[in-house]
Amino acid sequence: MTPSASPVAIEIRGLTKDFPLNLRGIKLRAVENLTLSVPEGRVFGLLGPNGSGKSTTIKIILGLLEPTVGECRVFGVPSGRVDSRLNVGYLPEAPYFYRYLSGTELVRFYARICGVPRKRLDDRVKEVIDWVGLSGAAQRRVGTYSKGMLQRIGLAQALVHDPRLIILDEPTAGVDPVGSAEISELILKLKAQGKTVLITSHLLAQIEDVCDRVAILDRGKLILEGDVNELVGQRDRQALIVDPLSPEHLDELRGWLASRGHALNAVEQPRARLDQLFISRVSRSEKGGQK
Amino acid sequence: MGMTTGGVPFSLTRLLIVAGNTFTEAVRQKLFNFLLLLAVALVASAQFFREFNFGSSELKFISDFGLGAMVFFGSTLTIAATAQLFFSEIENRTALTILAKPIWRTEFIFGKFLGVFAVLGVFCALTTLLLAGLLCSRENSLMALHPDAFPGGRIIHYGDLMAMGMLQWLKFGVLAAITLLIASFSNTNLYTVVMSFFMLVICHLQYLAHDTYAQVASLPLRLLVRLLGYVFPNFQVFNLADQVATGVGLDAGVVLRVAGYALAYIAVIGGLAVYSFRNREI
Repeated sequence: MTPSASPVAIEIRGLTKDFPLNLRGIKLRAVENLTLSVPEGRVFGLLGPNGSGKSTTIKIILGLLEPTVGECRVFGVPSGRVDSRLNVGYLPEAPYFYRYLSGTELVRFYARICGVPRKRLDDRVKEVIDWVGLSGAAQRRVGTYSKGMLQRIGLAQALVHDPRLIILDEPTAGVDPVGSAEISELILKLKAQGKTVLITSHLLAQIEDVCDRVAILDRGKLILEGDVNELVGQRDRQALIVDPLSPEHLDELRGWLASRGHALNAVEQPRARLDQLFISRVSRSEKGGQK
Repeated sequence: MGMTTGGVPFSLTRLLIVAGNTFTEAVRQKLFNFLLLLAVALVASAQFFREFNFGSSELKFISDFGLGAMVFFGSTLTIAATAQLFFSEIENRTALTILAKPIWRTEFIFGKFLGVFAVLGVFCALTTLLLAGLLCSRENSLMALHPDAFPGGRIIHYGDLMAMGMLQWLKFGVLAAITLLIASFSNTNLYTVVMSFFMLVICHLQYLAHDTYAQVASLPLRLLVRLLGYVFPNFQVFNLADQVATGVGLDAGVVLRVAGYALAYIAVIGGLAVYSFRNREI
């Protein structure tokens, strides 16, 4: 599916962002002539090495920074306007929330800022805290939370007003593989609900698992954009996974394929991914708040 | 439960939510508790001067001592708490999360201000009530011991003392607005605190420059000093303590004019802080 086939959640046109470095007018160009569309209802990965302009782009989308040149619209509204953020939830990189509030107080605070109706407030706060699996720790001070729990309470505050677009900046930074897998699960659940998710991460395996589409930035410039399957899939090859074959049967199969004009290019033993092995063996100790 | 689209009007509710959260943060800070305890201890220590048994002049001493403690520690608390409560949002990056919500920066800045102002209100109310209790207790004792020293009845105007506490609160409000204005463009907490103390000194002493240059300087300099007199609020106008404990009493008209003076400066300086913060890249 091409981006133009569905409504657009984020539209960036010719975006350039410069930061002044000193009074002599020397500037650092963080983003250069970026044009990008994030289709609604998709999980979009924004990738790039450190300093490539990902966080700057996200801050411009959220109206926290003004573009030097170009424009950015969120659901058709210029990103500098307050109403462009009505339908946006944001989880910042390495989130530090108000440590003196409990999980429930924190989510309630952001829900009230976002205008969740008072009669729905308690139910909605409980609902999102349950949804991210923190109900057992909801009354604890946020200052006592582990990194994984902070990410999940951050996700809860981002979702509490039921936004259509969720922006996750490095949601798995510093989180263990189990917590990371849980966040991936939550992202896929959001996708199933029809939400648009914009995610940045250095964990490319995770991006590959959850994203429909990715864009890669390098030194502020867009160098690649496309559907994940199109970019990493090898359409001219296939892999067959079968029970173990004896050397005789393998020779027989090779001959059968050759008689039909095909080559058997590789015979390998499939390996489970290390993160999957880790997750299958390590119990989720933090779920429900028991640290 | 999708949100409605369209413009987002300015919301007093959101402003008060930010203020409530700021107040909660301040109350749970050890700095606030420490200063409050110190100020209460200082006001309470004034009671020990009853051993001197000065008669009615002792009451003025206790009043001056207590109000002095309130001014000194209140000013310190104002600058430290305002700078801390603003920069904790920037340094802990909670400002990113909240400003990524549908909230105006005006609501955020005035919410922070109101939260600090509420903390200062609690501080002033507690210290004023404690001081009033001490003065009342001592005045009763002295009236029993030296009835001839109180021919007209009580000397202390307790209503005026409350008004004095309110005026100090408003002065701290002006100082909090100044600190917030500096913080809105400053990069560090330390710079904000140092500059704010510098401004506190200027605002306390600017009347001296005004009085001196009004008599000796040339016209352009006189005009400049007069202009600076409008730019920097004159904190001496809040100093009405002498009239509280000497039986003179406060003029209600003066109190109202001083309150209006403070509110006008809070509105203007707060507006400048909002303008500065709107242009700040987070």
